[in-house]
Amino acid sequence: MDPEMADADAPKDGSNTQGVYLYHPANVTKAPGERPSKRRKVLPEKQADNTTHPFVPLLDGDETAASVESRYNFYQTLWSEQETKIQGILNEADSGVLEEVLSFVRSTSPQTYGNCIPTALVTVGSNVSSLGRLLARLNDRLTTAGEGGVVALESGDAPNLKTTLKNIIRAAITNTEGNEGYQSFLTDRDGPRLLGYDLDVLGDYVKRKGVTKLVIAFQDSEAVDPNMLTDLLSLLSSWVDRIPFTLLFGISTSVELFEGRLLRSSVALLRGRYFKIHGASNCVDRIYENLQADENGQFWLGRNITATLFEKSTDAFQTPEAFSQTVKYAYMSHFFANPLATLLASDASPSLRQNKLCEAIRNVPSFRSFCEDHLDAGSSKYVRQLLEDDEYLYSQSLEHLRVGQQKMRYLFQAARTIHICLKHLGIAKDTSISDVSTRALSGELVDSPWVEEILTGLKMLDSTKLQELIAILPGSLAAHPDLGAIHEDLEYLLQEYKDVTPLRSEYDNHHSVLTSTVLRQSVKLSRRKAKLPDQDVDYTRIIDRFHALTGAFFAEALLNPQDLFLHEAFIIDMKNPLKEIFSPRPRYAIERALARPFDYLISTSNTSEARVSAKQPATAILYQLILESGALVNVHDLWQAFNAVFESDGDADCDERMVLTLFYRALSELKSFGMVKSSRKKLDHIAKTSWVGL
Amino acid sequence: MQPDPEEERPVSTPKRQRTATVNADRHGSPEITPLRRIKTPQKASAPTPAALKESGLKTPTNRSKAKALFSTPAKAAAPSTPSRAKNADRSAKKKSVRLLQEQVNDDEDDWDGADRLAEEILDDDDADPTIEKEDGVAETVEAESGEPAKKGAAATPKRRAGRPKGARNKRSPTPEGDLPPHERYFFQNRAGPARTSNTTLNKLNLLTHEEYFEKLQGYTDPCQKEKTFLQELHHRSFPQWDFEFDQGFNICLYGYGSKRQLLQQFADWHYHRHSSSPPAIVMVNGHTPGISIRSIFATVVTAVLGADIPSKMGFQPVEVLELLQSSLKARPSQKPITVLINSIDAPPLRRAANQALLARLAATPKIHLLATTDTPNCSLMWDISLRDQFNFAFHDCTTFIPFDGEFDVVEEVHSLLGRKGRRIGGKDGVEFVLKSLPENAQNLYRLLLTELVSMSDGGRLSEDEEAGNGREDAANKDDLGIEFRMLYQKAAEEFIASSEMMFRTLLKEFHDHQMITSRIDTSGMEILGVPLSQQEMTSMLEDLVLA
Repeated sequence: MDPEMADADAPKDGSNTQGVYLYHPANVTKAPGERPSKRRKVLPEKQADNTTHPFVPLLDGDETAASVESRYNFYQTLWSEQETKIQGILNEADSGVLEEVLSFVRSTSPQTYGNCIPTALVTVGSNVSSLGRLLARLNDRLTTAGEGGVVALESGDAPNLKTTLKNIIRAAITNTEGNEGYQSFLTDRDGPRLLGYDLDVLGDYVKRKGVTKLVIAFQDSEAVDPNMLTDLLSLLSSWVDRIPFTLLFGISTSVELFEGRLLRSSVALLRGRYFKIHGASNCVDRIYENLQADENGQFWLGRNITATLFEKSTDAFQTPEAFSQTVKYAYMSHFFANPLATLLASDASPSLRQNKLCEAIRNVPSFRSFCEDHLDAGSSKYVRQLLEDDEYLYSQSLEHLRVGQQKMRYLFQAARTIHICLKHLGIAKDTSISDVSTRALSGELVDSPWVEEILTGLKMLDSTKLQELIAILPGSLAAHPDLGAIHEDLEYLLQEYKDVTPLRSEYDNHHSVLTSTVLRQSVKLSRRKAKLPDQDVDYTRIIDRFHALTGAFFAEALLNPQDLFLHEAFIIDMKNPLKEIFSPRPRYAIERALARPFDYLISTSNTSEARVSAKQPATAILYQLILESGALVNVHDLWQAFNAVFESDGDADCDERMVLTLFYRALSELKSFGMVKSSRKKLDHIAKTSWVGL
Repeated sequence: MQPDPEEERPVSTPKRQRTATVNADRHGSPEITPLRRIKTPQKASAPTPAALKESGLKTPTNRSKAKALFSTPAKAAAPSTPSRAKNADRSAKKKSVRLLQEQVNDDEDDWDGADRLAEEILDDDDADPTIEKEDGVAETVEAESGEPAKKGAAATPKRRAGRPKGARNKRSPTPEGDLPPHERYFFQNRAGPARTSNTTLNKLNLLTHEEYFEKLQGYTDPCQKEKTFLQELHHRSFPQWDFEFDQGFNICLYGYGSKRQLLQQFADWHYHRHSSSPPAIVMVNGHTPGISIRSIFATVVTAVLGADIPSKMGFQPVEVLELLQSSLKARPSQKPITVLINSIDAPPLRRAANQALLARLAATPKIHLLATTDTPNCSLMWDISLRDQFNFAFHDCTTFIPFDGEFDVVEEVHSLLGRKGRRIGGKDGVEFVLKSLPENAQNLYRLLLTELVSMSDGGRLSEDEEAGNGREDAANKDDLGIEFRMLYQKAAEEFIASSEMMFRTLLKEFHDHQMITSRIDTSGMEILGVPLSQQEMTSMLEDLVLA
């Protein structure tokens, strides 16, 4: 290491050896990565007020402050809207269970249960985070009503009886009284001072505050020590006449297993009900649908990101929160790093036009194909103007951007329609909106079998089903004037008809008659249209209109988003940031760094071939040598090989002790990484503990 | 050199009986001697008397001795039992050795690589790959292709069944071609004795702490420029990290290399960016021994409350954490606290309970946590609920900077090699400590050394028969020790310690300076030893007696 650098980095007060310390700037005038203070003095004020938002100017640093600001503001408003939506969905998802649990808590008491402790068993399955949400909301409801509160315990809070009691008492009191309140409860009282785990403190608190419900919740009840739980239950049940306990257990496995772990005598102390929280995937789908298919949507996640998101949530347990965080990160990276995002801002006006931004627009692939299309159509003048006139380009971009956004909204309306139709017509009932969206986003839906099946399926609809379908059709199609007319005609027809059996169109199988003719010793079956009643003929006309309408709608709306001009601005579609940020592969990164160090260290010389050489970092050399050896490694031979690498390179400054020093350092690093361990099989041998790729 | 030909001649005698090549015999002896020299360098000095004794004792030793010279470690016990020797003799390996020997003799040239080649094959050709690469490529290939051919010719058709065994022997640890990872694993972990050479680090003078640091100071990194560039690349992400903090994410940096500098620089950058109202930044060094979660929490509380820390924070980390959370709640205008944790996967912080506590800290609003990890398997520390609480955004920050501040390099390597006692600086260190101890203690240590040295002298006779056998060696080294009671009796006899308590007091002093080792053997007796090598003990004893 460069000794100078080491000196500069080591804090003067020796805090490098300290475990924990508060940071104090070592050198106030110098910040790394910035220019020396002398030259920096020009812009000190600007630096200071830049701190209102964390965005940095893009476009090589030439982006104007106003543009950066608008990017940031737009992101803030956009995401806060989305977040409210997500929050609403999450709240709604478990509000049913919340109400049930709340009414259970309110209605039961030890008296109604014959001196048993009222107990709620909540199975959460893989939806781990939902219980925490539920408890927080339950606590809010109880505290605002002044009835009491919830003490949420994790297994870590309950290692033994004493600590558990202490935690319960403290959490219950601080929940309403705060930390000072708790201290005063402990100290300000008559008689001898009580210890922190004495339930008398809690009893006193309950009496003074008039608490009627005190819920004690174990979030991960499987992880709690059953012996401790037995003791705790018997203790609580003896206090249940003075403190109104209600227990709540979060169970990830099953109630039977939970009960099996407890003693019969402790189970006898409990009585209660069983609640169930539903899985997370349903929630995730709804979040996605609400974010993407919003009727006023302005920004969308592309196909790749959608695929990544759902791959992750199906492959591994993922809470809805984690899902929405991932989505948030996608939004963040778009607005943080894409200068085109400025165009999205609703206040985008000519004043925000910048030459560099126009330059950037011209470099976007979709601009190129847009121009090519126009050239093919023969409007070369238009293209020339776009290329030369910044102002014109800017206004055109904004215009096309709005058009593009509108088309995207249509696309998602169509996707939603398809999803609904698929379900309604019973073609593919278990398809989720995410499947449909992924296909829609990659432009595959237009001629897909789904759409074809839907269109043929529509023709066979009878009047009742058609009515139902029209009623649940989403947004833009429902608002279509033609649909309104169809609906009216249908209503009118049905009023006339007044029969129990629904109307059927001529395409329906009910109206074809099977005839059999014997022809040259073989039976020939043929279908023939039966004579239709008049109403049915009318109905067929309506169905035809409806069919044509949906067909046209699909054909118009289901385009490939990648063909839209400036889709780069309103769709984010990069797999990489999300995958790397949320499913990292640290082991792969380290192995790669050691096996091929020049992937990271961009070598100035041309010696970056795969061979082991002294130019590489010592640990990388040693790692590669160990890779070549067997499960058991002789350290002496390893050292000889290591030394040979340096000797063969013939550096002047390579003396053996120095190489040994490097060898030591490399070996200690590999040991700390858990790649080798000492072996007692042979003297001076070490054992390999990790294999590449396993 | 002189006695060697005398001994060597019998070595080839059995061969002559079998193959009846007189020529080979004559030229054989000078060939073999250097080979032996190279293989067991230690023996050249020590074992002459023992060898003489042995040959005097057993008449048919000529033959078995020959075997002892060339035997593989696993079959080292063979010479003592003639029946097993016979078995070993029959083995394909023996045969191949002999054939090889002949081949060398027949060739009648002083082929330079021959010594090494033979040695390689004898030592189960597990020599380090680079040497093979450098100067042994041609030789090795030739030998490996030549050996089976010869063997095929020599072996009778009946013997063919045994051939795969021989074939397996010559497999190198690096299989040819690109094996898929799992195949490679099974290949390298296949059953059978470990096929590594028996060389040890005895000749190598191991580094002391002082020398290590002295050498390190003079080292210039050839990749310094590239590393600095890499570092600068990471600097460019600072605004991004800031934004991630702002949006409620915590950050985890992974990848090879120490990230301490990077974190320090980020702290500087962060501080200067918000210089109008400096943010509170708490730095944590995970590798500090004895660091506790409570101290981390307490520091964060100090950062929040400043001067109005309550006099009693509580002893449990959870209590401190709750104090922190409640005081953050009580101060809505509080600026976010940035907590930078170096090596969150360091051994002191690695425990699941600690990670759960840190996760709760990370989940606290207004706490921004940036953690770095060093080990490849760091993600195993967190399950789904911890991951949710941490809410990490991961970034690959490979720096290639060595872990000088984090690891105690010399100590780690020595513990890896099972040479822990070097800590006090070997013989010099022990002498230094002894000088400052009372005479009684010095006498006790002398007594201990005397006992140990005399014990090892006694043991050496048998040991020499199996010289070069690493496993036995290691076992002996460990076994060397004196029983606690016995040492106490001797000490009492020499009026060093009058009571057991006094004796223990003296021993405790040695323990404190790691001058003795103590362990419980299988029968439950406490065995005392000295963490020094044979030579060191002897010379130390000399010094003590002379002083």
